[in-house]
Amino acid sequence: MTFTNTSLDIQALPALAEAPLEAVSPRLAPCQAVLRSLHWLLLTGLAAFVPFMIAEIAAWQPWPALAVALLGAVGVVFGWLEARRRAYGLRQHDLIYRRGLLVQSTQVLPLARLQHIETSSNPVERAFGLVRLVCFTAGGRGADMVLEGLTADRAAAIRRHLLTRLEGAEPESTGTDAP
Amino acid sequence: MSEASPLGEGQGGEVPWQRLSPWAVLLLLLSGSASLLRQHMPLVLGAGAGLALVERLGLRELAVGGAGLLVLAGLVSLLYYRRFRYCCDGDVLIVQKGLLEHREFKVAARHVQSIVIRQPVYMRPFGLVLWEVETLAGEASRIALPGIRRERAEALERQLRPPEDRRRQAEPRPGAAAESLPEEMQAVTRFAISAKAIMLHGLASRSIYLIAAMLSPLVRPLERWLHDRLPQLDLGAWLPGSPLLAVAAGLLAVVTLLALLAILAAWWRFHGFVLLDAGERQIQRSGLVHRQEQTLSLARLQVVEWVQTGLGRLLGRGYLVCHQYGALGGDAGESRRFLVPGLSEAQGAALTAHFWQSDSGQGDSGQAAARQALRRVDPSYRRVLFLRYLLLFVGGAALVLGLLIPLELSWPAWGGLAAGLPLLAAVLAHLRWIATGWAQEGDFLRVRRGVVGQRTGIFPLRHLISLRLQQSWMQRRRGVATLHLELASGRQTLPYLKEDDACRLADMLLFTAESTQLV
Repeated sequence: MTFTNTSLDIQALPALAEAPLEAVSPRLAPCQAVLRSLHWLLLTGLAAFVPFMIAEIAAWQPWPALAVALLGAVGVVFGWLEARRRAYGLRQHDLIYRRGLLVQSTQVLPLARLQHIETSSNPVERAFGLVRLVCFTAGGRGADMVLEGLTADRAAAIRRHLLTRLEGAEPESTGTDAP
Repeated sequence: MSEASPLGEGQGGEVPWQRLSPWAVLLLLLSGSASLLRQHMPLVLGAGAGLALVERLGLRELAVGGAGLLVLAGLVSLLYYRRFRYCCDGDVLIVQKGLLEHREFKVAARHVQSIVIRQPVYMRPFGLVLWEVETLAGEASRIALPGIRRERAEALERQLRPPEDRRRQAEPRPGAAAESLPEEMQAVTRFAISAKAIMLHGLASRSIYLIAAMLSPLVRPLERWLHDRLPQLDLGAWLPGSPLLAVAAGLLAVVTLLALLAILAAWWRFHGFVLLDAGERQIQRSGLVHRQEQTLSLARLQVVEWVQTGLGRLLGRGYLVCHQYGALGGDAGESRRFLVPGLSEAQGAALTAHFWQSDSGQGDSGQAAARQALRRVDPSYRRVLFLRYLLLFVGGAALVLGLLIPLELSWPAWGGLAAGLPLLAAVLAHLRWIATGWAQEGDFLRVRRGVVGQRTGIFPLRHLISLRLQQSWMQRRRGVATLHLELASGRQTLPYLKEDDACRLADMLLFTAESTQLV
């Protein structure tokens, strides 16, 4: 067997920073706003209506509730802006997902690592016609990548492509076989 | 051709089922009771709850209740034994078990990543062992056969060897004896622990802190006992006159006791530790009372971690932890993993190179790759850490002084606090910054983290599962980024790299991981 060890041109490697990304559905922003509003409404309600035994503290109760409501309003606005910036990219060998507003993160999952894929959606997402694509890899303790904000058609197309890749790949590893 | 199996493997016919040893009923009862006692000890003994229970119920009633529970546990063990059966169908282990819910597990040899054989002291007279197999799904997927004969356990281990192992079995190894010898005899001893190494490992491991934490609930009862007993003792005769000297002597006694207990714990766990190299399989045996044999498949190895506690760095000792797929519990769960204790730095480096020799394509004599000095991360990380620590300390001090223990401090004390907290935060931030480093060494990445103690993970670039490049608003202004690398054994983080370095490293990792899978 001939062993070769040629040097790589680092500059010539495919650059993650230059990968073309596609924005998620514009419906994700209002969907996120609704979800976050529901979440903060619950917290505001708790802050406003949890009964206090001490009258002096109870007199101040509206203020924390107002603070939580304001925080929630800021959270909803940030959520809206953040959702509009989310993007994903499907390259030949990996899947990319960018998210975040103040703290931006770009996650890359090599397709060769993919073990199985799920699609899921909660009632609010279904109302907006959105679907989440959940990707699992070997050895992970949960979902390794969750692509939010895909339309049902788009999610189905990506899922089909990933499944084709999975079927074409050699089965790498699974754990204990299910009965 | 597969070897003849003493497990009664069916050849085309029906697979004959095997059962646990009948003694397993007793052993299941014993191990179940021991684990129940261990788990509920703090509840029963803590804060005098056990005594209160005895007083409330009465001794006779408690004894009757205990006997009833014992009979119930015996019946449950018997039922568990009757429902438990296993067999080998080719290279697939099938296990059926369950009390109320019947479950069947199938483990194929190609999915096995490690096998452990334990022999607690109460199993020794019966010649039984506890056999455990772990699949690529990780530590959560462990399946145990509690109470089978040793010969059967060894036969199972041989039958469930991964296919890579069987392939490499034929390859000759340097230092191995003639091939006609049984395989166990061909194994080469890579490391055998000495009494000095056990002692140093006891001192340098984290046991000393764990033992201190375990004994901490005894402080209050001991304090009460001393409070009651001290006035009756003639302390002047044997205690030093100076209070400071007495406190120092007391502290020294406590530290000596903890060190002694830590050495005893190391001796208990690692007595007679030996690491055998059987080619693709690495076997370790150890244990003073509870004997344990653990097998590691090199093909399943994901990360080798070199760990040194603060004291370990002073003593020049550390230990290696071999991580495989699906490691649970983070650093706390490392005692369940393949661990090589009591190593000097040179031994640690040599064994690391040995573990990765199949990946580097080099012999044992060569290192996995030329050792490079670790690169430090951006100094802005130190400033961020300083601010985080400072906020934490100020918040903690405000909480303790203001709410929990309202104290009136003098001005010099306030001054000391105002100067001391930033100083402490600065020292910790600096220590953590200098401990954080990384280096790309050929096809391997070395990542170090820690504060006083340090952990250095070494893994091939191609073991990357996924990565995340993260930048906060402040990081973008400073041109730095944090790289999170997801590996099958957990996460490795490289904080505050120069943005260009982070992008280049991410591209290199992705290229290596993706191109290796295509071969």
